[in-house]
Amino acid sequence: MSSKEKIKSTRRFDVCPVTETSAGIPLKEVYGPQDLENVDYKNEIANPGEYPFTRGIWNNMYRGKLWTRRVFTGLGSTADTNARYKYLLGKGASGLYCFGDTITHQGIDPDHPLAQGYAGVSGVSIVCLQDMYDLFDGISLEDVSVSFNNPCMAATVVYSAFVAYAEDMGYDLKKISGSILNEPIHLVYSMFETNAKPLDLAAKLATDVIEYSIKNTPRWHPIAPNAYDMHEKGANAIQEMAFTIAIMEEYIQRMIKRGYDIDEFASRVNVFGCACDIDFFEEICKFRAARRVWAKLMKEKYGAKKPESCRLYLSVHTSGNSLTVQQPVNNVARVTLESLACVLGGLQSFDPAGYDEGYYILTEHSALTSLNIHNILAYESRVASVADPLAGSYFIESLTNKMEDEMFKIINEINDMGGAIKATESGWIGSEMDKELIKEQKEIEEKKRIIVGMNEFIVSKEEEVPIEVGRDRPLEEQMATSKKREDKIKKLRETRDKRKTKDALENLREVASKGEGHNLVPLMMESLRAKATLGEILGVIREANGASYDPYKVLQYSL
Amino acid sequence: MKDSNRKIKVVVAMPGLDCHDRGIIYLSHVLKEAGMEVVYLGKFNTPEYIVNTAMEEDADVIALSYLNDHLYMIFFPRVIELLKEKGCSDICVMAGGRIIEEDRPKLLELGITGFFGQSTPTKDMVQHIEDRVKRERWKQ
Repeated sequence: MSSKEKIKSTRRFDVCPVTETSAGIPLKEVYGPQDLENVDYKNEIANPGEYPFTRGIWNNMYRGKLWTRRVFTGLGSTADTNARYKYLLGKGASGLYCFGDTITHQGIDPDHPLAQGYAGVSGVSIVCLQDMYDLFDGISLEDVSVSFNNPCMAATVVYSAFVAYAEDMGYDLKKISGSILNEPIHLVYSMFETNAKPLDLAAKLATDVIEYSIKNTPRWHPIAPNAYDMHEKGANAIQEMAFTIAIMEEYIQRMIKRGYDIDEFASRVNVFGCACDIDFFEEICKFRAARRVWAKLMKEKYGAKKPESCRLYLSVHTSGNSLTVQQPVNNVARVTLESLACVLGGLQSFDPAGYDEGYYILTEHSALTSLNIHNILAYESRVASVADPLAGSYFIESLTNKMEDEMFKIINEINDMGGAIKATESGWIGSEMDKELIKEQKEIEEKKRIIVGMNEFIVSKEEEVPIEVGRDRPLEEQMATSKKREDKIKKLRETRDKRKTKDALENLREVASKGEGHNLVPLMMESLRAKATLGEILGVIREANGASYDPYKVLQYSL
Repeated sequence: MKDSNRKIKVVVAMPGLDCHDRGIIYLSHVLKEAGMEVVYLGKFNTPEYIVNTAMEEDADVIALSYLNDHLYMIFFPRVIELLKEKGCSDICVMAGGRIIEEDRPKLLELGITGFFGQSTPTKDMVQHIEDRVKRERWKQ
């Protein structure tokens, strides 16, 4: 390249090239009072802690309680994960995070023929009651909140195992707190759809967990829909929230059909697990707009009277997609920016991704860096001291309004289609997400979206700032980890009292065939106590509902 | 004998239980735009199913993707082995996703024709497919 060309090629970076948000909302050069002319502060914005909670769900926000500071955890055996928990608790973490491995997400056991090599590999494997004893050894469940990332149907079993463990250990169920992802509809287009079929059965089981939880574990959040995966799979910031809210309406309507009043359960089904991407202001406004949409929906559509029914709790894992494998040290800057958006957006909990997320599950060092991003924001930077500090900004309020309008448009469209399950089964939501995904990738290829180190400002491997990254376990080690887990479950099958297990499973099967009106959580707890496994429990429930025992149709029920 | 002028046919698939299919969704779109025919198998396939489909469809190319962990070192060689067993080594196999540097020489030796993913421009992949297929068709 001649020096003349070089100068020319850098000059185009002299102006900000961005004229719209990631979701395609046009951006003006400047905003002013005219952009907020028709805004009614009292009804649309209101003070923090007041309906419609645009400015946050508590009046003093982080002065009252800081966000829960979690770090992504879930690796190898239950014992490895337990050791990481103790490490993080010792370093200031206030909540624990449990990410399931691939096969737990799919609801199959480690000795399933297709599971070979997968057990305990990119998350922790939870299959039987014993696993809870190993995971939480030496940790008091009354003092720490636990967030499980398991989707339904597997989530029903994981929740049942957690409650059975807590009960058997003598913890006060009224005091245990945390959440479980549980929601199955999003799986159809975002992740492990085999775990969610038949969809109607999965939605029924997810509702069972909600119903059991509001009565028995009142501090627990029994469903925390996964907006994150939808975002990472293509949904833009507006769609991410609109799809998730439309999905939650399915459960709200099921609970109302079961005879519950909205105020009896709304305050327990109001936690969303979202993404926070790199578009700083759009993300902040996404959180503000979503809170307002939720509040209005609860009050105006479902007739909620209690303020807590209208509060939307938001939790985030910062976007893995926004990170690069090139120059991983740059990801610390990205994650910090995204984490700041979480704080300014008034979130209740978030976990900053590890800078090496593009490589593997966080190392102890990258986990410590993530934890310290929390600590720097919370204690050093002073950004958390004033509630919703951006409120009143012409730009912020105007973008929040625009996003609210767009979210409502999509929610209404889905309602017109007959709800989120219908809009999923017809493929509409999936194809909307694909369109966005293709648009985004195209923009990256055409450099309309600049990603430093990836499509612009590229440096050679040798020039990169050296930094430790998580490394895949070698194949042999991965196979050995999985095999160890497989052997453990095989041993459980051999040594348990088969008769007892079978009786419990048959009892579960009988009740499961009766459909609505029969909550299966207590029977799942009994089956787990009788040493039944995740795959077996879901298998008999599936069979009782006319589906195959094994989602992959390889295994037969054999007890 | 394949008609040397017919559209290039690509089977796009992920073996195993990996769920990260962003890449293959976009790739399928790009290949179609480039005038190719795409047989989209998506995620959760066995190597046997991928190879059988490629044979039934008389495909020119199998584009494999894997991201989650290290098991591609079992699935990818198995796909190549099955193609050899069935006398279909004229089908090109290429790999995308997250294939770590240290594994690449071994996969190349086995017969994977190229690696694509994360930051490779998709036009490079389109070019690669066109070159490879031309070469294979010329051989016949």
